[in-house]
Amino acid sequence: METIALLGQGFAVALTPTNMALAIFGCFVGTIIGALPGIGPVNGVAILIPLAFSLGLEPVSALIMLSCIYYGCMYGGRISSIMLNIPGDEPAIMTTLDGYPMAQRGKAAEALAISALASFVGATFATVGLTLFAPLLAGAAIYFGPADYFALYVMAFATIGGITGVNPIKTLLAAMIGLMIASVGLDPATGTARFTFGSYHLYDGFNPIVAIVGLFAISEVLFYLETMHMSDGKMVPLGRAVPKLRDIAVGGWAHLRGSVIGFICGILPGAGASLGAFMSYVVEKRVSNKNGTFGHGDPKGIVAPEAGNNAASGGALIPMLTLGVPGSGTTAVMLALLISLNVQPGPLLFSREPEMVWGLIASLYIANVVLLIMNIPMVGLFTRMLAMPQWVLMPFVVMVSFLGIYSISNSSFDVLVMIGFGVLGFILRKLNISLVPVILGLLLGADMENNLRRALSISGGDPSILVASPIAIGLYLVTFAILAAAFYIAFNTRRAERKLGED
Amino acid sequence: MSDRIAGIVMLIVSIAFGITASSYEASFGDPLGPAALPVMLSIPAVLLSLCLVLKPDPDPVWVTGTPLFRQIAAVVLLIAYALLLDPLGFLLATFVTVTLLGRILLSGWLKSALSGVLMTLVLFVTFDTLLGLPLRALPAGLG
Repeated sequence: METIALLGQGFAVALTPTNMALAIFGCFVGTIIGALPGIGPVNGVAILIPLAFSLGLEPVSALIMLSCIYYGCMYGGRISSIMLNIPGDEPAIMTTLDGYPMAQRGKAAEALAISALASFVGATFATVGLTLFAPLLAGAAIYFGPADYFALYVMAFATIGGITGVNPIKTLLAAMIGLMIASVGLDPATGTARFTFGSYHLYDGFNPIVAIVGLFAISEVLFYLETMHMSDGKMVPLGRAVPKLRDIAVGGWAHLRGSVIGFICGILPGAGASLGAFMSYVVEKRVSNKNGTFGHGDPKGIVAPEAGNNAASGGALIPMLTLGVPGSGTTAVMLALLISLNVQPGPLLFSREPEMVWGLIASLYIANVVLLIMNIPMVGLFTRMLAMPQWVLMPFVVMVSFLGIYSISNSSFDVLVMIGFGVLGFILRKLNISLVPVILGLLLGADMENNLRRALSISGGDPSILVASPIAIGLYLVTFAILAAAFYIAFNTRRAERKLGED
Repeated sequence: MSDRIAGIVMLIVSIAFGITASSYEASFGDPLGPAALPVMLSIPAVLLSLCLVLKPDPDPVWVTGTPLFRQIAAVVLLIAYALLLDPLGFLLATFVTVTLLGRILLSGWLKSALSGVLMTLVLFVTFDTLLGLPLRALPAGLG
């Protein structure tokens, strides 16, 4: 009951004209960004963060706008998957499997509408889940002491790679790189200048937003310059503008199955939307693929991954808001925004800033409705965006990143740092080293050190406090289990690949 | 091979990081001190770098030739833009950068220049007029 009252207050915040306008703007821009091949949600949210600063928005308004962009991106990602067979972002890869074949058979409009509905169901399911579970988790999290937080951060870094079969050594190394970058600057407790090499520019450390825009947006442009001669998608015709309702509602229980699986994947640390979409598709294929139609344009093969990835992106907000530990790249970027706005996420956020949390949750409900309306009748508008040539799009992305970063401090130093991070991000991605742990390390490094310091102050310098509470011990055990699973799976994948190479 | 090189670079960085950090003096009364966490980080970083050197993944495909040239050109262009934005003024610097970026992305001179003009104006109006970012419009001597 209390939740409903709080949600009501949230709607009061979300329905103010400014916030409504920002939510609709965010949905619109987000869908475009999601649809454009090459700029995923991480890039989209990252390059627009400086914009939120320039507009001088209230923290809650900025958060609403960027969350709506985030949701919009997840809706928009399917458009280029279905029309061009080029996923707009990683989670949308699974949608190409059945979406593009269906579009090729002249049912593009139906495929788009089906996937919009699935996105709506998945995202709404996750938003309801967020409403119900986030306060519970936030309530439990107040029992966390500094040592438990330290354990939580260790877990976040160790598990961010998830159990995806990517080389876990590289993921862990990436987290170390991030933490090392985070320790540049003045140590807040002692005032010692660390790794500044005498440059006063570095006294404040690296601004996470500058690093994020460089790592993601600039490295994406460098990647595009490398692969530009290969990507040549052929757009299928849209067909009829608004399909019949009977043709849209074919998903049935696939909606719910995808949503549940996606939501669970979203909450898990390090899993995120890509895994949500993948798992949903695999399970749905096992349940419904009786005539072997999956992969040839089965509508349920579109419904499941779309419901899955949208539910996962909603679910990923739960650990970010309640624990301050993001589970995915985009939520890490949103955490960067919160920190820059001087809002400390975590369990206290719910008691200290109820307006912000519930305003955000309410605006996500509104965003879902707005996005459903935008994505069924107005989808023709967004498909036209796909025709935008890359030689216009890429310079535009570069310029917006550039001016956004320049607007933070009006100095060309930050811009040069951004370019440096862009080159670093490109090299890391080439080496198959994930960038999300780098960002996470950069964002959480200071807080991790802080909690370690607080824990040691409590115990008077005795390190045994770190493993004294049952919560901390539990977290370390979970960390160990996930790491062991990750190494086991990575080892097996590697052996399977080697075998494949020999045959 | 790429992984081994990356591992060696990271190994050197981690060792240097740990050694530099250990020289930071702990100030009075702080139970942790400025050196503890960086030193704690450098140990797993060294071990992980060693793992990477010893057990590298297969090499990625590194491009050479024209695409590499394009990437280098783009980075040089961006650095130049960062340094010249103030002396040249926003309008000229942005027009030149967008036009050259368009060229790097394989469009014709005319189309690139056209997109350069349009984008410069759109960005100037958006950032300077609407968002209030003070940009120097013209070269240093003129504006």
